[in-house]
Amino acid sequence: MKESTLFPLTFLFYLLASFFYFSSLFTRKEKLNRTGSGLVIIGFFIHNLALIFRTIESGHAPFTNMYESLSFFAWSTVLAMLIAEKVFRFYRLSAYLMLLVIALMALASSPLMPKEATPLVPALQSYWLWLHVSVTLLGEAFFAVAFIASILYLVASAKENKGQSFSSLSSEKLDSLSYRAVAIGFPLFTLGGLVFGMVWANVAWGRYWAWDPKEVWSLITWFFYALYLHTRIVMGWKGKRSAWIAIIGFLAALFTYFGVNYLLSGLHSYA
Amino acid sequence: MSSFIRLFASVKAAIVLIIIITIASIVGTLIPQGRSPEEYLLRYGQLAPLFQRLQLTKLYSSFWYLALLFLFSLNLIICTLLRLKPKIKRVFRPHLDFKPSELMALKNSQKIIFSVPMEKVYGQLRSILHSYHYQIKEKKGESSLTLLGRKKMSGYFGADVVHLAILLILIGGLTSGLFSFRMDLALHKGEMATIPHSDFAVRLDAFTTEYYPNGQVKDWKSTLTVVEEEKEVLSKTVEVNHPLKYKKYLFYQSAYGWDWDKADLEIVIRSAEAQGQDKIISVKNGEKVTCDPNLEIHVHRFLPDFVLDENKRPFSRSNEPNNPAAFVEVTREGERIFSGWLFARFPDFGQMHPGKDSPLSLELRNFSASEYSVIHVSRDPGTGFIWAGCIFIMLGLALAFYWTPREIRFLLQSEAGRTALLVAGIASKNKEALEKEIEKIISSLRKKK
Repeated sequence: MKESTLFPLTFLFYLLASFFYFSSLFTRKEKLNRTGSGLVIIGFFIHNLALIFRTIESGHAPFTNMYESLSFFAWSTVLAMLIAEKVFRFYRLSAYLMLLVIALMALASSPLMPKEATPLVPALQSYWLWLHVSVTLLGEAFFAVAFIASILYLVASAKENKGQSFSSLSSEKLDSLSYRAVAIGFPLFTLGGLVFGMVWANVAWGRYWAWDPKEVWSLITWFFYALYLHTRIVMGWKGKRSAWIAIIGFLAALFTYFGVNYLLSGLHSYA
Repeated sequence: MSSFIRLFASVKAAIVLIIIITIASIVGTLIPQGRSPEEYLLRYGQLAPLFQRLQLTKLYSSFWYLALLFLFSLNLIICTLLRLKPKIKRVFRPHLDFKPSELMALKNSQKIIFSVPMEKVYGQLRSILHSYHYQIKEKKGESSLTLLGRKKMSGYFGADVVHLAILLILIGGLTSGLFSFRMDLALHKGEMATIPHSDFAVRLDAFTTEYYPNGQVKDWKSTLTVVEEEKEVLSKTVEVNHPLKYKKYLFYQSAYGWDWDKADLEIVIRSAEAQGQDKIISVKNGEKVTCDPNLEIHVHRFLPDFVLDENKRPFSRSNEPNNPAAFVEVTREGERIFSGWLFARFPDFGQMHPGKDSPLSLELRNFSASEYSVIHVSRDPGTGFIWAGCIFIMLGLALAFYWTPREIRFLLQSEAGRTALLVAGIASKNKEALEKEIEKIISSLRKKK
């Protein structure tokens, strides 16, 4: 088995899973959700194998170029989705999160993404690569959960205001789901992105902070979620305004992840 | 003064400051930082001087950005201290005079009657609370008793620990900015350099570049030896991600290069008059040699990576020998008979573009220059604060999110041999879990009677 066959297979299972999730949304047949869930779990299992094979084939961590990192981000998002699904049993969230996962997988599969594994440049030869990237992307995956939950919250609260019901989960629950995702994502992002990032930068570049665009943007992302927490906990903002901050926060995280690489130049030019 | 403090004491001020700092930081990522004035002029035209006057081109060390960070720190200190006082009181000297009406007003409070005397209920309640790891504070009244069970109280200080951590990180940044020492040492093999403000020197014993089979660079390695009082103290091979540490100084493999200014060149001279009698001469960049009694060769310039700029002026695009070229002039008895660029990669260039009626054709056959390794030296007293800040920030976040304090308030009232128990729980998060725990405590209390 090779990663190049396992990856499309994973993609296939994720596509099938979201087909079932959305079928359930439109037909209101709860059973279809369980099929979707099962397919995601199979896909996730194959994805794990794909990452392991990639590591063996390339001889280094499976997130050193955009293709690998997109695949790993998709993996993290599925992991966060499965955890959220286990806790909340709210399949609508899974359905929309799968859309995000599919977008990531599709981007990774696009012919524009070079897929061959290249040997590691000297700066990336460090075990901090494992810690820094994996923990950061895992944190961002939980931000993705908060992002989808917040969008669903906005839709749900708009419907509830009109007296319609939207889903099995009340808008209030969606709001708290979003908060709980941030409560996991924020410490992970702080640890992986900022703390491990500073430690590694100090080892590799000789300074813990260099105001590199990627560093600044991860700080900006961190600020957005700090705002989310302060407005919520101290000022009692909940609901709409909170949801918007979580949405913008995730967009900032996405910009840190993609935008900085393609639009701004800096030290993080490799990935 | 008090109005000044009040202005800074609000979370609103903190939020406004964070938003301003965020916007400023974004601007700093859109405008490339620390480039040359010419580059800004090229990029922004007339706006360039304005950007420079507003310090947008070195934004993160600009006066106004640092002032914003200072105001932010001030706000952080005041906000944290103001909120710390009531928290300390709540945790260390809690209020124990609950009135029944107060307790009943709390969410999910309940009242249970036990048909046993108050003392007995009290004793059992205490032991149950202990088994749930609650710490107990109590106050006895005439016919009533208040009891406060609490756990994970340090969670109240989670946010404060995070704020302290941020201050430590800002102090670390300031310390680094003011007191850190950094320099780049370009060392040739065998060369030694004394480290400023220290009593030792480092010597480069070896420098190697390792390649992958596909030709890509795998690593750069410099073997450094620390020499102190003419004694070799330690030796270590430094590579990217593996610096050498000695006496608060860190030595990093940072770059490498060649001394092209002093490049050694080998030039072949062919004469149209005397075919088959090629002359090979060795000459240093910038130097003149006489090879025939009357033939003088002068290398004016050597560029390792020859390209032409917009005005067709030659310059070196990089320090890598991608397109090595030398500008050579040959004179015979003071008369110039050849002048032009020689390209090591394109030896035929000279023949295809012969100099005007020159009887000679030249070829740049070989070039070499001594290689050096660039070692970044740093001594940064700010890092201690930074790492302490990193540890505290994670500790604080763990406390704030996952060490939720729980408080259960009990009021026992003796009513003619029976006991009325009022109970209410307080938790800032995960209230359902506390409700469940209270249910368990009550049910084990019921079983015990």
